[in-house]
Amino acid sequence: MADFSSVLSPREGDIHVIAAARHIVKALGANKNLDDDLRKILSQLDSHLSAMTVLTTESRGTGFREVEEQLKYAEEKIRGWESNQSLLWDSDEFDPLEAAEFLKAIDEIQALIGGLRSLSVNGNGKQKELLNRADSNLQMAMSRLEKEIIHILVKHKQYFQPKNMSFRSCVLDVFYDESFVSVEDITSEEALQRNSSGKESDEYIFDLVHPQVIPHLKSIANVMFGVNYDQEFCQAFVSVRRDALEEYLVILKVEKFSIEDVLKMEWSSLNYEIQKWVRAMNIIIRYLASEKQLCDQILGDYGFVNPLCFVEISKGSLAHLLNFGEAIAMGTHEPEKLFRILDMYEVVADNLLDIDALFSEEAGTAVRLEFHELLRSLGDSGRATFLKLGNAIAANASTRPFLGGGIHPLTKYVMNYIKTLTMYCNTLNVLLKDQEAADPNPVVGPENGHGVSSITHCQMACHFRSITATLESNLDSKSKLYKDGVLQHIFLMNNFHYMVRKVKSGELRLFFGDEWIKEHIVKYKQQAMSYERATWNSVLSFLKDGDSPGLCSASKAIKGFTIAFEEVYKNQTGWSIPDPELREDLQISASQKVIHAYRSFMGRKSSSISEKYIRHSPDDLQNYILDLFNGSPRILQSSCKK
Amino acid sequence: MPATDNQGSFLNRISIRRNQVVSMDGNHEQELEDLELFQKHVADRFADLLSQSEDTLGDGLLSISWLRKLLDVFLCCEAEYKAILLLGRDPSQISKPPLDKLVPEFHDRVVKALDVCNAVSHAVETVRNYQKLAEIAVAALEQRPIGDGQVRRAKKALNSLMILLEEKEGSNHKWTERAWSFGRRSTNATTSSGKDRATSASQFRSLSWSMSRGWSAAKQIQAMSSNLVAPRGGESSSPALPVYIMSTITVFVMWALVAAIPCQERNGLLTHFPVSKQLGWAQSIIALQEKIAEEWKKKKEKNRLAGLLEETQRIERLGLSLIEFADSFQFPPDADRLDEVAVHVAELGETCKKMEKGLVPLQQQIREVFHRIVRSRTEVLDLLDQGGKVTASTM
Repeated sequence: MADFSSVLSPREGDIHVIAAARHIVKALGANKNLDDDLRKILSQLDSHLSAMTVLTTESRGTGFREVEEQLKYAEEKIRGWESNQSLLWDSDEFDPLEAAEFLKAIDEIQALIGGLRSLSVNGNGKQKELLNRADSNLQMAMSRLEKEIIHILVKHKQYFQPKNMSFRSCVLDVFYDESFVSVEDITSEEALQRNSSGKESDEYIFDLVHPQVIPHLKSIANVMFGVNYDQEFCQAFVSVRRDALEEYLVILKVEKFSIEDVLKMEWSSLNYEIQKWVRAMNIIIRYLASEKQLCDQILGDYGFVNPLCFVEISKGSLAHLLNFGEAIAMGTHEPEKLFRILDMYEVVADNLLDIDALFSEEAGTAVRLEFHELLRSLGDSGRATFLKLGNAIAANASTRPFLGGGIHPLTKYVMNYIKTLTMYCNTLNVLLKDQEAADPNPVVGPENGHGVSSITHCQMACHFRSITATLESNLDSKSKLYKDGVLQHIFLMNNFHYMVRKVKSGELRLFFGDEWIKEHIVKYKQQAMSYERATWNSVLSFLKDGDSPGLCSASKAIKGFTIAFEEVYKNQTGWSIPDPELREDLQISASQKVIHAYRSFMGRKSSSISEKYIRHSPDDLQNYILDLFNGSPRILQSSCKK
Repeated sequence: MPATDNQGSFLNRISIRRNQVVSMDGNHEQELEDLELFQKHVADRFADLLSQSEDTLGDGLLSISWLRKLLDVFLCCEAEYKAILLLGRDPSQISKPPLDKLVPEFHDRVVKALDVCNAVSHAVETVRNYQKLAEIAVAALEQRPIGDGQVRRAKKALNSLMILLEEKEGSNHKWTERAWSFGRRSTNATTSSGKDRATSASQFRSLSWSMSRGWSAAKQIQAMSSNLVAPRGGESSSPALPVYIMSTITVFVMWALVAAIPCQERNGLLTHFPVSKQLGWAQSIIALQEKIAEEWKKKKEKNRLAGLLEETQRIERLGLSLIEFADSFQFPPDADRLDEVAVHVAELGETCKKMEKGLVPLQQQIREVFHRIVRSRTEVLDLLDQGGKVTASTM
């Protein structure tokens, strides 16, 4: 450059100095960290310099000729592209030089406009005409750029691919049944899935638009913002990105439902939709972090415009997710919904900090508040649903006794239910604590257990114990339905035993505590003893040593015993003790008692009993006792015999 | 959000009073008095709205500021209604005639109203799009000296605006489809003029992601009003009346919102729903209803989606005149013509400012109405629940 300047005339030298100054101004303007005032000063300086260019050339006596030349040059570039239908930033034929030249032409026009404008408005016709031409070309170029942005954004869109977010648990739940019937134990798989569905711990940012085109978008943004076409840029940018997000929700299979639809929906479909929603929430928040990055990359230099655009992109889709959440929270409080409501609550709670961060600026206030509101609604709904469980259990009335005295579905339901609830322990404790604050009669008693695990005294544990107490009293009324008092004992024993077994088998042990377990072991053992007494004492009473020895009475005793035994056999083979160990215990204990008494009776009286009265050997009896409690009524062959 | 702030303390008051007045015998007189007062307040509030509707400076009927007032009125009436319904009332009364039928009916209506709120709130975004396009036109035409570049810029924005405004009922989907096909096709990088049009349309089209497919605002309003019957005879002073009044207000407010703001499927929107002319409190509602219906009929002849929002109509009118100016523009411009246009531009600018100031708060207020309705519904249901528990445990 220096070499050239020596051959240029002084005036031309001036022009170069001015050009260099403009260059410096531009370079300064490219600094991101400028505040608005400084930026303004620079832009004023730039237009002054550009006016100087114009004036310098003018005063050289060439009039506007040089300006016109420059304009013509830039105009040709822009018009040339205007007639060309292919896009500048089309990656297949992308020519960085060409794109750069296009932007440079705009730059030049902008400079000319700045210069022309800064001349007095009452300038001559030529000046006005040139300005008109320049503005017109600028508009054409901007219109062009608008198309280019849309094209780039659409063509280089990349689909968000979350890590570890395979579409899990689309299967319907196994542990729910409307009528408390046929409840299976929850699989450990479900528990595992639950854990893996949690929020990803590390920030994960994905490029929603190919990184290669980010500089292009940025340079276009720079140019458009520079000439006050920022509205057009934002409109185009927001609309494409908003569509992309909506499209992504479709990919996530999130469907649109009105609140009316949701409130009328069958639980099985609702359950499925909720699971999709929970997953979508988790993913969308990650997605939005990436969207935010994109906005920052492209609009980061433009102050409040950036968060404004981000909010506009995300608002509509989030409103949809929010409304579904509100609709669920509005629904009725059937116990089966609890897990899903808690899932929803947790996903919102887990993501709340991120949401607050994403929408921290003023433009995002409404979105932020809506999520807090949703969390509250879901919390209220979850709490109400949980508290209703007790009512539901109390209200579960039966009119007929449960066949065979086995484990009632209600018991299974309740125990599996609370067992599953332990996975939501922290969440539920938070929700219940909120309620305690408002409740004058808290369920939680004073802390009294020294050295007892603190879980045993958490809100949820207290609620659990109150739930099982309700269950016990319900079982008690159910047991009254049996006409046979002995079956009552079997029924209660079975159900209490089931409760104890469930509590002992896992997490629940911590919630209920050893005290509870001991108490309840005693309870079912008492029922077992009562059973034994009620059943076998009367049977064995025949074998008691009477005062009247003799053939007649001994035979009579055996006969009485046999009939009584066969009666028990007939009844109690139909009863059921599903737990093999418990069944065996009872059988062994009965066996010991019966066989012992029988053998000793026979030993003492064998001589005085007529053969024909002895139908069963002790070994037979032992085998018969093994038939008891298997849930299939049988009749002893012998009793059919004469 | 002042109405929300009040609500907490207000509800506390209700619950305190409710606890105090457990089945008092002199209660009935109090109830009648409250009901009388409620009717008077409703009448006054809507009379206010009616008188504001005459405003000719742009804040009249169906303007943003009028709608915001309407929503305020709704919130006030709703709070008072709830007090009357629940205050000093034994919860079990809600599960007895006539409330056992009226309250669930009311809740059905209210759920539909929630969906209408959502659809309208969503549609406010479309109106914001009108605003943004108009703002571009204002920015361009405010520049001096004005030349071909500015005029073309304004015209481009205004044309997009007109495409949006002129979107016919039901054509929403077409734009969406085109936008989608644009997205897909663009990978071939073909540029046809048809695609250009789709581009600009998709860029500015009203948002597609709104309600479920087949959901129709018109049908919801229809369903909300279908079983709206004024209580007769002995029921007219009982708790049936406040339920009826609040139902009528709810239907009216939702209807006015749907008429004003272009939400999903307004084909066949009612122009009239029956409100008995003899009811004192309903006079202003009826008058307003007739005025809006009149506007709707006028607009319907054009079969446009845009809605009756005052600001929208103003934008449309000014936009058309500016397009006309743009079409006939020649450089250098005629100074007199420019002065004339400057007046229009200034008015359009004013309208945009009004929208900028009012639309977001309007949207928030709609959301507030939404949350209020949800909360009230929950409160009544909880009360019923407790009532149910009491009766269950005594059995």
